[in-house]
Amino acid sequence: MMPDPSMSAWEPEIRPRQTVWQRLDHGARRLLPSIFIALIIVFFSAPLNIPGAAELLPAIVIATIFFWSFWRPTGMSGVAVFLLGLFMDLVGFTPLGVSAFILLLVHGVAFYSRFGLMRLNFLLVWGVFALVTTGACLLQWGLACLFRLDMLDIAPALFEALLSIGVYPPLSALFSWVLQKLDEKEDP
Amino acid sequence: MIPVSIQMRQALGKLVLPLLVLLSIGIIIAGQADRKLADQARMTVADGLAPLWGLMTSAQHRVQAINTNLREAGRMASENARLQTENENLRRWYDVAVSLTRENDALKTALHWIPEPTPAFVTGRVVADSGGIYARAVLLVAGTESGVHVGNVALAANGLAGRVTETGARSARILLITDIASRLPVMLDASHATAIMGGDNTPLPRLMYYAQDTRPIEGERVVTSDQAGAFPAGLPIGTVHYLHPGQPVVVPFAQLDHLSLLRVFDFGQALIDPPDAPGHVPLAHPRKTLTLPLKTLLGQG
Repeated sequence: MMPDPSMSAWEPEIRPRQTVWQRLDHGARRLLPSIFIALIIVFFSAPLNIPGAAELLPAIVIATIFFWSFWRPTGMSGVAVFLLGLFMDLVGFTPLGVSAFILLLVHGVAFYSRFGLMRLNFLLVWGVFALVTTGACLLQWGLACLFRLDMLDIAPALFEALLSIGVYPPLSALFSWVLQKLDEKEDP
Repeated sequence: MIPVSIQMRQALGKLVLPLLVLLSIGIIIAGQADRKLADQARMTVADGLAPLWGLMTSAQHRVQAINTNLREAGRMASENARLQTENENLRRWYDVAVSLTRENDALKTALHWIPEPTPAFVTGRVVADSGGIYARAVLLVAGTESGVHVGNVALAANGLAGRVTETGARSARILLITDIASRLPVMLDASHATAIMGGDNTPLPRLMYYAQDTRPIEGERVVTSDQAGAFPAGLPIGTVHYLHPGQPVVVPFAQLDHLSLLRVFDFGQALIDPPDAPGHVPLAHPRKTLTLPLKTLLGQG
């Protein structure tokens, strides 16, 4: 007889049922990167007169999504990326859906190449990220040109790509530290 | 948990991403097609986030205020230190001044000094003067009704400005020291040498007719001289400055290009009548002696 393939039949034998607190804990861990990005979006869209905020926001978001997508995809699911992109579009002044589209592409690239990326050392990952973010910024610029039906200045897009490349190492260090802490807590 | 097989779940998981990409493309197209709806959605989100943003900006403002306050406090500390040293210095000067005043009083008493009369003065607002025969003159809203007479001396806040040349019932015209018609006897404060300060319609009147052995020194104070009796001695005018070698000018203390208030002093020179000297021929024009008697009690006589 075939074993019952449904999850309800599988799960109880494998591990004990989670308590409410554990569930909350797991949920918070999963949502941590998304919450971080959401806070970043709210922070940078506030009228604080931070120089370069318009370019820094997508740079940070792209770097964060790339890191979590290949390193810990459970913390950065496609749905979360989509919602964050949509939120960014709603809060900012990009055409609706553009950021969601581009961030999903970044997420997709990182997600599908994650087994290759994980084996590379940091500098190579950084190089791949540089290519991906440059592509993303150029795509954003191309879409903006398409919607305006006019050639826009490419300098801000390149600036955004450079900022994103520059912001990746510190963010990556921060997130690696966070991951380490989370894993320590998971299995002491 | 929905009962789905693992294979099914994996297949669905692979489908999610392409579906989401398609959905975002759909949203892009929809947003372009119906901009009003997109803007409405934007505004709803912005409305929801507005209190959060307000909180953040107020926090930022508070941080900035604290920062400026701290910087201000640091500046004030250094300013305070500077003021304290200056105050110490000034206190010493105060003692010197008090002792000098006492000494002065004692000397004056010893000499049976006749005290000078306190000059009466009126203060008036300066109004622009477009008419008149002078290029550099101002009109003062104070006239003979207020006791202003021709020949009175007009002082700005910190120096001589000019003298009254014409008076009306409620206004008086004041010829500034920078006018080309203005020639004043002055004294160089350091050397006590006399000279003539002549205006030339520029902001810096020239110094002329100084003695060749006592040339004006750069930065020297220039005060009025009581020669010819038009002015009491010692009213501050300005400082010497050399525009070119051999061309000394006076930088007036008074800001003559934007005067707002002037004090007009009546030093009572007109009341001083020289005693008749038989055989003395007055040097000045007889009509002018009526308005500007050219002798003072302390003058050369």
